[in-house]
Amino acid sequence: MSLSRRDFLKQSLGTSALVSASASVPCFLARTAAAAQTQPPQDDTILIVVQLAGGNDGLNTVVPFRDDLYAKNRPTLRLSAEKLHKLDGDFGFHPQMPGFYKLYQEGLLGVLHGVGYPNPNQDHPHAMRVWQSADLRPDASQTGWLGRAVDQIYQPEAARVPAVYVGQIPRPFAMNAERAIVPWVRSLDQYGLQGDDGQVPPETPHAEASSPDRAPFQQKTAGSSPAHDLLPFVQRVALAARATSRQVEAATKAPAGDYPRFQFAATLRTIVQLIRAHLGIRIFYAELGGDEPGGFDTHAGQALNHGALLEQLSESIAAMVHDLKRDRLLDRVLLMTFSEFGRTVAENGRRGTDHGSAQPLFVVGGKVRGGLIGQHPRLDDLESNGQRAHTDFRRVYATLLDEWLKIDSRPVLGSRFSPVAFLKT
Amino acid sequence: MLLDPQNIDPAWAWAAYQPDAERPWDLRLAGHLFRRAGFGATWPQLQQALRDGPAKTVERLLRPEDDVAAFNRLYDEFERSIDPEAESTDGLRVWWLRRMMESPHPLLEKMTLFWHNHLAIPRNRPTHALSLAEHLQLLRAHALGQFDQLLDAAVHDAAMLLALSGGANRKAQPSLDLGRTFLEELTVGPGHYSESDVQGVARAFTGFMVVRHRLRYVEREHDDGAKKILGRQGPWNGHDAVKIALAQPSTARRVVAKLYRWFISETEPPSDSLLEPLVAGFASEHDIAKVVGTMLRSNLFFSNLAYRQRIKSPVEFAVGIVRGMETVVNAEPLGHELAELGQDLCHPPTTKGWIGGSTWLTDATWIRRHNLAWALFSTAGPYGGKLDPWAVARKRGGSAFEAVGRFLADLYLQGDLSPASREVWSRATARADSAKANPSQGVRTLAHVVVTLPEFQLA
Repeated sequence: MSLSRRDFLKQSLGTSALVSASASVPCFLARTAAAAQTQPPQDDTILIVVQLAGGNDGLNTVVPFRDDLYAKNRPTLRLSAEKLHKLDGDFGFHPQMPGFYKLYQEGLLGVLHGVGYPNPNQDHPHAMRVWQSADLRPDASQTGWLGRAVDQIYQPEAARVPAVYVGQIPRPFAMNAERAIVPWVRSLDQYGLQGDDGQVPPETPHAEASSPDRAPFQQKTAGSSPAHDLLPFVQRVALAARATSRQVEAATKAPAGDYPRFQFAATLRTIVQLIRAHLGIRIFYAELGGDEPGGFDTHAGQALNHGALLEQLSESIAAMVHDLKRDRLLDRVLLMTFSEFGRTVAENGRRGTDHGSAQPLFVVGGKVRGGLIGQHPRLDDLESNGQRAHTDFRRVYATLLDEWLKIDSRPVLGSRFSPVAFLKT
Repeated sequence: MLLDPQNIDPAWAWAAYQPDAERPWDLRLAGHLFRRAGFGATWPQLQQALRDGPAKTVERLLRPEDDVAAFNRLYDEFERSIDPEAESTDGLRVWWLRRMMESPHPLLEKMTLFWHNHLAIPRNRPTHALSLAEHLQLLRAHALGQFDQLLDAAVHDAAMLLALSGGANRKAQPSLDLGRTFLEELTVGPGHYSESDVQGVARAFTGFMVVRHRLRYVEREHDDGAKKILGRQGPWNGHDAVKIALAQPSTARRVVAKLYRWFISETEPPSDSLLEPLVAGFASEHDIAKVVGTMLRSNLFFSNLAYRQRIKSPVEFAVGIVRGMETVVNAEPLGHELAELGQDLCHPPTTKGWIGGSTWLTDATWIRRHNLAWALFSTAGPYGGKLDPWAVARKRGGSAFEAVGRFLADLYLQGDLSPASREVWSRATARADSAKANPSQGVRTLAHVVVTLPEFQLA
C-alpha cells in the first residue's frame, strides 16, 4: 500500500501537528500543509511516452503471418508462424515479446495499426522532429508537443513542473517548452540534497518581515505591498524541494517490483518510483534505442538486434505494469510507444530493412481498450516502399491530450483532430 | 516615503538617488547595485563602493578604468580557436562563462546576456559554433552602444538570419517566419503589426543567403518592388525595415520595458507614464548606455520597489557565488549544470528568450541549485575546491569563526537576512565553530548554507 501525498508531506515536514495550523506555525507552512490536505485524491491521469529511435520494423513486431506477401517480401527476415505469440488467426507478436503477449491477453495492451502522416519524411532527424513537434513543418515549430502541453498545465506558483524526462541521451525536443523547465532525470540520486543534515524545521526559514534593526532600509522606504515580496515564494520553493527530496527518497526505499536487467527497465522503474513519490508529475518521456540514428535503424543484419530491442521493450513494460498493479496505479497510467517511421515492407538484400512509413503504435494501461485497433495496412498498396498510413499520429496525440490527460489539444496541435477509440469508455 | 507602484512620480523615480539620513548609502544598496549591474561583488568592490558613493560607483560600472577592450580582444581570440565546423556550442559557452566570471566589465556581459535574451536564437535552429561566436561578439560590441546599430547589425548576421528561417530568403518565397519574428519579438511587438507588414518585412529581407555560415547578398534574389511596412510604402530593404520599425514608439517602449524588468523589477509591470521619460529619449537617441545609466542611478532603482524584486537566473546565481570568492572555476561542467537549471547559454528555448522570474525556481531546480552550490564549494568534484571561503574570509574578514560567518553573510547577502534565515545562519556558524579541527571544511559548509538561503536566490 502506498503512502498518500498527505502522509508524505507530514513525513517530510517531520510533524503532523503542522496541519493543525497552530499560531506558532509560520503562515506559509500552514498554507502549504493545508494545500496538501485539500489536494484532490491522487487520481490525476499520467502519460508515459516511449520513443523508439531509429524506425521500428512494425512488420516484424506485429507480424501478419497469414499474409503471403509478408513471407514473399521477407525471404530471410520472416518469422515463422509457429514461433509467434499469436493474437488471432492473422497476427502474432515477435517471439521475443512474451510480456506483451501476456498484457495483450489481459486486455491491457492495444495495437494501433497504420499510424503515420501524409507525405511521410524518411530522414531520421526530420521525421523524429515531426513526431516530437507534432508539426509537419517541424522547423517552424520552436516547442515540442509535450512541452506545449506542459506549459498549459504548469503553474509557476506551484513550484513544480508536471513533466519529467527520464533517460541517458540528451533531452528530446518533444519536451522543449516555452516556460516550464522540464527536469532531465538520469538517476533518482539527483533528488538528494547534498550536505544536508536532515534537520528540517530549524533549517526552513519562514516568512516574516526582516527585523527592524537589520533592515532600516526597508522600514524607511516601505511601500511595496507583501504581494510583491518574493521571499515567501522562494521559501515555499525551498520547502517544496525538501518535500520532493524526501518523497523521492521514501519512494526509492519502498519495495519495488522485479524488473529485468535492462537500462530501459531501470528507466521505467525510475518512472514508477516517481509516480509513487506523488510529485504531481503527469507526463513522462522515456526512450529506447538511444541517440540518432537509433538502435531500431536496422539496415543490415536486423534479426538479432531487432529481437533484442523488442525483448527489452516488451519485458520491461510488462514488469512495469506488474509493478503498477501492486499499488493499483495501473488505472491512472497510460504508456504509448512511437518510432519516427516504420520500415520498408521488402527486405533490402542485406538482411535488413530501410526507412518506411506507417507503423503500429502500442498503448498500454488499465484503461486502454486492449486488442488490435484499426485495419492493418495492406502490403500491396505501398507508400515510399512502406505501409500506407490511415491514421494521422496527431489523432492519437489528440486522444491522449483531450480524453486521457484532459488537456485541451487544440492549442497543442494547432487544430482539432478526431479521436481514436483506444480508451475504455 | 510610501511608494505605490502604480502611481509613482516619474520625475522622482528617474532622478538620481542622493543618499540621505532616510536612505543612507550602505552595504545593502551597494550589493544590490552589483547584483543588477553585474553578477555580484567581491568584498573589495563592496568596500570601494562604500567609499566612493553611488554616483561614482555607477560610473565605474558603466565605464570601468581597466582595459576592457584588451580583455575582450583576448577572449575573442580564444573563441576563434573553436573548431570552425563544430555544431556544438559547448566550447563557446565555456568562454562566455569565463568572461562573466573574469571580465573587468561585468555590466557589458550582463547586457550581452540581455540582448542574447531579446534577440534570442531558439534551441531547435541549426547552430554553428563559429558564427554564433561572431554573433555574440556583435551583441557585445553594441551591448551598451546604439540600439539602432545593434538591431541593424543583428538582423544582418548569419547566425540570426539562420535562426529566423531567413537563411535562404528568395524573391519567390520570402520567409514569413523571419518577418513575423522581426515584428513580434524584436521590434514593435504583438498588436502593433498586421499580416501585410509580415509580408513586407519578409520581402525587404529577400536576397540575403547564408552560404557555408557566411552571409551573402544575392542581388537577383532581392525583391526591389514597393512594400508596405507599418504604414510606409517604398522599395524597402532590410536596413529600411529596421529604420521603419525603430521609428515606431512601440519598439522603444518594448525595449525600455524589458530593460526595466531586467534592471529594476520583474514583480510589477511599469505603467506607461513611468516609462515615458525614458522611452522618449531612447526612441530618438537609441542610446543604450544612457537608459541603463539612468536606471542604475535612479531613486526607483535604490527603492524597495527594486530591491530583491527579481529572482536570480541560474547564471546570476552561479557566477555570483564564484565572483564573491575572487576566482574562476572550470566553466565546462558549470555550463552543463546551468543548462540543467534551465539556462542553456547560446540556446534559449524559443525566440521569446528565457521567460525567467518564478519559472526559474521549482522543486527540481532548487535541489540542483543546492547541489551545484555544494559542488562549487567542495574540495572534490568537477570544481576542484577552487572556491576557498576560509582563505577569502581570513584575508578579508578575520579568522574568528563568528567573524567568518558574518563576513560570508555580508559578502553574499549584505547581512540582510530574515529572522529565520538568520537562525539558520547562526546555527551553521556555530557548527563551523565546533568543527575547528578542520576550519577549511567547516567554512565550506557554512558558505554553502549562506548561498542556499532563500534571500540569495533574489537579485
